[in-house]
Amino acid sequence: MEIEKILKERFGFSTFRPGQKEVIEQVMGGNDVIALLPTGMGKSLCYQLPGYIFNQPVLIISPLLSLMQDQVDQMKQFKEKRVVALNSFMNPEQKKQTIYHLEQYRFIFISPEMLIQPQVQQKLNTLPLALIVVDEAHCISQWGFDFRPDYLKIGELFGNHRPPILALSATATSKVLKDIEVYLNMSQPYKYIHSVDRPNIHLAKYSFLEKEDKLDWILRHVLETEGPGIIYTQSRSKTESISELLLQHGIAAASYHGGKDQLDRQFIQQQYIDDSLDWIVATNAFGMGVHKPNVRQIIHETIPGNMANYMQEIGRAGRDGKDAVAILLYAERDEEFAKFVGIDDLPNDHHIELYETYQLRQEPPNQMIQNGEISETSFRVLQYWMTQKSANEVKELFQTMKYEKMHEVDEVMKLVKTECCMREILVQYFGQELETKPTNCCTSCGLTLENLLLPRQQKDHVVEETPWQKRVAKILGIS
Amino acid sequence: MIFRQILLQIFHKFKQERTISAPFHLLRGKRSGQTIQDVGIFQLHMYFGILPKLSRKTYDEEISKLIEEQYMTVSDEGYYILTAKAKEMNQTVDLPFNGWQYRGNEHLFFARLSLVIQSLSHKAYNQMSFLPIQKDPQVQEWVRKFLISHHYQERDLQQQLYEEIIVSLEQAPIEQHAKVIVMKRLTGYKIAGYTWQQLSIYENKSEMDIQFIYIACLHAWLNGITDKESQFPLLAAIAEQVRVAMPLSGSAYQTAQLFQQGYSIEQISQYRKLKRSTIEDHIVEIAMNNPRFDIRSFITEEEIHQVVNAVDDYNTRKLKILHEVMPNLSYFQIRLVLARGETV
Repeated sequence: MEIEKILKERFGFSTFRPGQKEVIEQVMGGNDVIALLPTGMGKSLCYQLPGYIFNQPVLIISPLLSLMQDQVDQMKQFKEKRVVALNSFMNPEQKKQTIYHLEQYRFIFISPEMLIQPQVQQKLNTLPLALIVVDEAHCISQWGFDFRPDYLKIGELFGNHRPPILALSATATSKVLKDIEVYLNMSQPYKYIHSVDRPNIHLAKYSFLEKEDKLDWILRHVLETEGPGIIYTQSRSKTESISELLLQHGIAAASYHGGKDQLDRQFIQQQYIDDSLDWIVATNAFGMGVHKPNVRQIIHETIPGNMANYMQEIGRAGRDGKDAVAILLYAERDEEFAKFVGIDDLPNDHHIELYETYQLRQEPPNQMIQNGEISETSFRVLQYWMTQKSANEVKELFQTMKYEKMHEVDEVMKLVKTECCMREILVQYFGQELETKPTNCCTSCGLTLENLLLPRQQKDHVVEETPWQKRVAKILGIS
Repeated sequence: MIFRQILLQIFHKFKQERTISAPFHLLRGKRSGQTIQDVGIFQLHMYFGILPKLSRKTYDEEISKLIEEQYMTVSDEGYYILTAKAKEMNQTVDLPFNGWQYRGNEHLFFARLSLVIQSLSHKAYNQMSFLPIQKDPQVQEWVRKFLISHHYQERDLQQQLYEEIIVSLEQAPIEQHAKVIVMKRLTGYKIAGYTWQQLSIYENKSEMDIQFIYIACLHAWLNGITDKESQFPLLAAIAEQVRVAMPLSGSAYQTAQLFQQGYSIEQISQYRKLKRSTIEDHIVEIAMNNPRFDIRSFITEEEIHQVVNAVDDYNTRKLKILHEVMPNLSYFQIRLVLARGETV
């Protein structure tokens, strides 16, 4: 069947976006593929469309539980019933039932933790899988910003007689790309590398002497220019305090971070998409799964931990292709804090020694989590390496990683300190070459924010004062 | 502010006979013998488990403020003494909590309700697909079954649900603002809910106070729904198994069944391979929950009066003191009498 026809009938598009067709054709031809497509460029279509041609299950390995649920919900919304997410949200009975009936599904989303469980493995071995998709494939690399030890086992699990693997990522350096190829045991994969540059996002930066000066600048800027925008910051408490500052000045803002009430997070997303909120003040927890095309501004209140995060976060602006700005704020010694945050969740020597003590006492080391001696994410990384290497080697490894993480911050600092083109530095970091520069490219090349941003429209922010009875009536469509 | 008032009220009720940590366990609904018995002894049913997720940090911060502002002093052993200032402050919090019977299940009720309403809202506006606001697969499955079994496609379910909500919520004995807060947490087609932060600004109260009012409103509303199930059949169905009828821990429930079959404490302890003291904890829990449970198989009428008089004479409910006064009685026997609280 012609793939254009399915594109039209199933997905309602008449043309492919850049890269989609190439990737799909290679996958259909039985080849392994690594595809680097920026977020919002239709990554998921690259495996969804083939799913309708194969008529055999497609397995999608995804590390982000909440994102997985979102994808399943969205596919169901588009009338795909044969889709399931196999993850730790399920209770044992649901899990058992789902595994038992696994062949009924066209799309099977699975978390890496679930994938390595024996009963899942056993079932998967009996399924005629058409394609294995590794989403967020950069998680396989210990040099990536979000290393998942369980990802390293994917390559071993499927052996030689496996269907093609499609590795997807939005941001990966050449070093990480190499890791993806090696650890997934890919055979001469076809690579589609889309340029990481987003010409409609204009890059600005401002330096300050004092941290407090940044807040004054943000307030003034937000009062004068039009959103919608996102302000990224490094701590949960900062999202609260900055959003309160904006709210006090009559700006429709909300704070967002991983510790927020589950319903609150959805209300904020919904209000933001509806344009009833202008600004979100968030940690890096905000953005995944939020599809808002008209974001005009991304402000980094402080420098992010690495270039990949920066790229991913500014990439949430201007999905509609219209001009947008990304503003990086820096105050003296911000890099020290960024480094501290970066290495804070790496296991340290003390953790390694504790781990050994537990082993000597013949107690399960994961007790460390319950005893509050280590975070769950840190433990996951620690445990993986402790089963691979000696304690001293692991110490050395983490030392190297620590330097690597600090070095990542220094890479971001280049953007702050440089007098060269910011866009060039960004693109080169990902091992690519910049071909053309847009006008108003960046602060170094010369840029005027007034040419890119509209002045703020004073909207009357009316508080809904209807009685509760009317609200229920409105929601339920009762006149 | 509400948090502080609730804490002071709990401290008052504990009569300075428990440690500074006791209110923390009470608010979180800790299922230990001690906390459960204290609920009966000090008549603290309304506050049990109203904050299942309260963090120790938040709690300690509030306690530090109480100490700083001279509402109480704390001894090295962790006991507290309320100051005159605190005693003056002892006004009752007029929020109709019913923690003992809901124990956090009010959130399950609201989760189901909000997804039912979101679904019916989309149906009313002819939008048959949407992203569910509740992510828990069990809640989703429950709501799916509810909608199908009530034939939501064929009839006007939203009209009936609307009428039930209006009538039942209007009857709930709580101020209008509380009802506004609960209704603003609902979401529908092109209508987003309000975050705690937003509600806190509109109502000019702290986020925590807003959540207290929200919980109290759900309790008051649920009381009305579960008392008159036949009048509100849809809401009663959504509130299915939300109210704890016989609030016993699972283990105490097993003990209760064996005891009813005529087994002695000793036999139950051997059969269940549990310590005697654990079984005694269960018996105390049962005595507290079931007013018809006859404690006279463990203690004579005369001894009961002895305990009641001692509590009055010495104005204490501290076990250690009472045991010193009545060395003839075991701790277990004294606890049994105390478990009856003011009903003795």
